[in-house]
This record gives sequence, C-alpha cells and structure tokens, in this order.
Amino acid sequence: MSMNNLILLTGRTINQGVALEGGKTTMENVRAAAICAFDKDDFKKLDTLVGTPVKVITDFGEVIVYSTISEEGPHPGIIFIPMGPWANQVVNPDSQSSGTPTFKGMRAKVEVMKSGKVLNAVELIKSLKEA
Amino acid sequence: MVIKKIKTVYDVICPFCGTLCDDLEVDIENNKVIEVRNGCQIGVKKFFSSNPSEHRYEKPLIRKDGELKEATWDEAIDKAAEILTKAKRPLLYGFSSTECEAQSKGVELAELLGGILDNTASVCHGPTLLAKQDVGAPSSTLGEFKNRADLVVFWGCNPVHAHPRHLGRYSEFVRGYFRVDGRNDRYIVVIDPRNTHTAQIADLYVKVNPNEDYELLNAIRAVVRGVELDATEVSGVPMEQIKELADKLKNCKYGVIFFGMGLTQSLAHHRNIDAAICLTRELNDHTKFLIIPMRGHYNVAGANQVFAWNTGYAYSIDFSRGYPRYNPGEFSAVEVLLKDQVDASLIVASDPASNFPAASVRQMFKHPLIVIDPHESPTTVFADIVLPAAIAGIEAEGTAYRMDNVPLRLRKVKEAPGESLTDKKILEKLIEKIKEKIGE
Repeated sequence: MSMNNLILLTGRTINQGVALEGGKTTMENVRAAAICAFDKDDFKKLDTLVGTPVKVITDFGEVIVYSTISEEGPHPGIIFIPMGPWANQVVNPDSQSSGTPTFKGMRAKVEVMKSGKVLNAVELIKSLKEA
Repeated sequence: MVIKKIKTVYDVICPFCGTLCDDLEVDIENNKVIEVRNGCQIGVKKFFSSNPSEHRYEKPLIRKDGELKEATWDEAIDKAAEILTKAKRPLLYGFSSTECEAQSKGVELAELLGGILDNTASVCHGPTLLAKQDVGAPSSTLGEFKNRADLVVFWGCNPVHAHPRHLGRYSEFVRGYFRVDGRNDRYIVVIDPRNTHTAQIADLYVKVNPNEDYELLNAIRAVVRGVELDATEVSGVPMEQIKELADKLKNCKYGVIFFGMGLTQSLAHHRNIDAAICLTRELNDHTKFLIIPMRGHYNVAGANQVFAWNTGYAYSIDFSRGYPRYNPGEFSAVEVLLKDQVDASLIVASDPASNFPAASVRQMFKHPLIVIDPHESPTTVFADIVLPAAIAGIEAEGTAYRMDNVPLRLRKVKEAPGESLTDKKILEKLIEKIKEKIGE
C-alpha cells in the first residue's frame, strides 16, 4: 500500500530528546527518532500493523522508518518524523536565502515496505559518507 | 558499616534547553552522578550520561588507516592545527552547547584562520534574529511573564516535549505575583498544525495549515485593526475563530507570544517572525503584549550574544577577507556546505551529521573533519580527529544565557573523566598551536 499527497513535519519529541542524551548511536535513538507518526484514520488506509517499516519519499530523498500512530492527532494528511538523522534525509535543504533550511512542510509519499531495514544512525550517516 | 560519601550540589543549572532551570539538586558519589532531583526527563538523562560509558570519549582520537586510534593531546592538537592552517576557508560550527568563555575563544580562532563562524541558531532561530534586525522586538524576561501574563500564546512550539519545565516554571501552571491561581488565571492559546500535547491542555487550539502561518498572522493583524476580510477562512482557520482569537488578544491584561520552529523552519522563514512581531507591536495599541522565541540549546542565546559583541553579528559570519561579514543566506553552515565553499570543518559541541539536511552532510564528509565533543555521535564516528571535552555545566564552570538573555553562572558538579579538557582549554591549545604554525 502507499499514500500520496501527505505533508511531512519534523520536530522535537521528548523521547527523541532523552534518547539523544542517552547515546546517539544506540537502539534507543532508533526507537525514538526513526519513526513516522500517522493520523489514526490515515493509518487505517495503509492497511498495515503499527511498527511496520515504511518508506517516506519527498523531492529531496527517501528514508525507511517504523510506522506509528500519532498521539498528537488528529492531523489528517500530515505525517511527523522526530528531528534527527532520519528526518534529515527527506527535508528541504533550501533556506530561501535565510540560512535556515526548510525542515517542515515537505510534500511526501509513503510506501509500506514488504522488506527493507530501518538503519541505525551510524549506518544511515555512513551511506552519506560513502556517497 | 560502610559510610557512603555522597556530595550534594544544590541550585545546579541544567545545561539542556533554553529554559535553563536553576533549581536542580545533584548527588555525586565517587565522581559519578547517582541522583538528580527537580530536572525534567531530558535534563536528568544529560547528567547521568556524563558518567563514564562506552559512548563517552576520554582520550583524543586520530584517524589512522581508516580507524580512530588513541593519541596524546600534543599529537591531536598538532594534527588539528595542521588541518586548519592548511585549509583555505575552514568552517567553525556549533558552540551553542558550551559556555560563553569557549564561544569567545571560537571567535578568536575563526578570525585567526579567516574561516566561517556559525552557531546552531542558523538551523534554528536564525530567522528570528533576522526579523529582530528588521523590525525590533518588544520582549521581556521570563519572570515578568510568570508574574503578569494572563494570556499566553504558543505558536509553532511544543514546550511539553521541547522545554518540559517551561510550563511549570514560567508560562502555564506556575503561580505568579499577579496570577495567584496559576493555570486558572491564564488563558492559553496554541497555534499549530498538529494537536500537540501542549495544544491538548490549552483553552483554545487553532489548527493552522502547514506553511501558512504568514497568512494567518496577517489575517489576525487585519482583524485586530478592525478590517472586515472577504474570506470564510484563512490558512484553514475559520473566520469566526480568527475573530474570537483577535478579541481575546486585544482584551487581555498582559499577553505574550512564545514561538518556535513552526515559524522559523517553515516556508517564509523570517517573514513569519516579522509578521508575528508586527502583530505584537500593534496589539500594544490595545493592551500590553510581548513576544519571545523559545530557544533550543541552553546557551544558543549566549552564542548569539558573544558573537555579536565580538564581531557585530550574531551568527553566520565570514572572516575570509580578514574582517567579519554577515549574510546568513550565503555564510550559514548549511549554505556553505551545500555549495561546497569550505575545505575543512571544526565542530564544537554539536552534531551536524544528525541535524543538517543530508545534502550538506554529504559535502561536510568530503573534507577533513575535527570534532570537539564529550560523546559519540554520527559526526564523531566519521571524524578525522576527536578531541574529548568536559561537559560544560556539569564538569566545567562558565556563563550561559537563558532564552530571555539573562546570563546565569553554570556550576561544576564533578570532574571530567579521563583526559577530557574543557572546550575553552581545547580551543586555547588550538589557537596557541596555530599561532606557532603561522608564525604569529
């Protein structure tokens, strides 16, 4: 299953904040920040189970993260990835000449993954180093 | 009977977010943090993670044959100084999670090297600084808001998650001098595309479409001026709700807008803040109204202060012509990396590999990378040199500026593990070595 025409927002969550202080290269950080939170009704349309990896695709890149249902809904049409290396694979680096990239409000597409691994922070950044 | 020697340090400043809580109590035994009281979840975790662990660096590391290997301070400083002096235009970035004294040394080093100097405001509240330079900002300190504000607007920020004790200390639940009944004496408005946890405990939640804050801000400005708008909704917000909000804003005794990344990191960037500040200014025709950014890193406000009093500019500064030049659209860390305009990076107390867009991270890794950091991060793992630092505010004293630009003295509660040095000391060593190399 896939969904088009979503808007991607990113930002701080307390779990992500705790995880980054506890060790950025840990699994705790993966569980806290390598997730994509869906609106409850949007998630039903995906016809899958919570925790299934999804691929989030924007004009600027793609990333595989775990799916989850948002506690901060309803927000139909909006998906949320906590700030961090996973979100930054798909954000808009353009700053409109203000110096600050556009971390929020990208058009996004989501595909449910049949196979595919959610990388940890070091594996993910390694792919940028080797690129 | 075993007598445990536990040292308790009171009134400790928490070096995590811009709220800079100053009432923590930390118990230390054998130079380890064993208990932290009064802190939030994130702050407490930061204190505990200062204890030695597999994620904590205790010795300088240099990359040899593709692997980070332990080295002496002299070797590491010499190698780092060599990289930086060879570079035509190095990038010096970070500085927001360290004390002002180290930031000052960062300015000195950037000037010496003719490099780019930037702090994390450039991916955070940079647009706020641009807007303040455009239109000024009526603001105050957090104590004033606590004691006086009866209407609090959170626009594009989610303090429940990002500044966990802000609501309890300054803005929502706390009892103030004129707000004796705490939460009941305040009307809370949250404006956000998501029904955030902050919104869920507000009196009024306004759901704005993503990237359309600018339109909503200007619609509210128009309604506050008494203009009838020919629209049924603006930015997804029904006209009746905009009128209700404008009415509330005009009729409070003392209002304050706290705003966050929802305004600075979405489209229109600093124009959003321009509009928010202008709205605040216009509301002062009707009542008392102020505005303040929710700063993220605990000392990013300090970085802006220190850079500004040394160079005249708060962030994104270029020294390549020998004098400071300022243009965030050109000299911010993300921009210079995207355009591949730097040829080495020195990162101080920051993790750009995690926090920059992928395209800039890819460019950063093309060139030598030196990192001053206490902990392992995706940036340090791929660095060429790692210099282990003492954690400012836990293992080093210094000054930090709260989000309202009030300076507070950070405390030292324990010794840094291993051979770690303070950020200030490391930067001083670098400056000394570089001066030696270039013959100054």
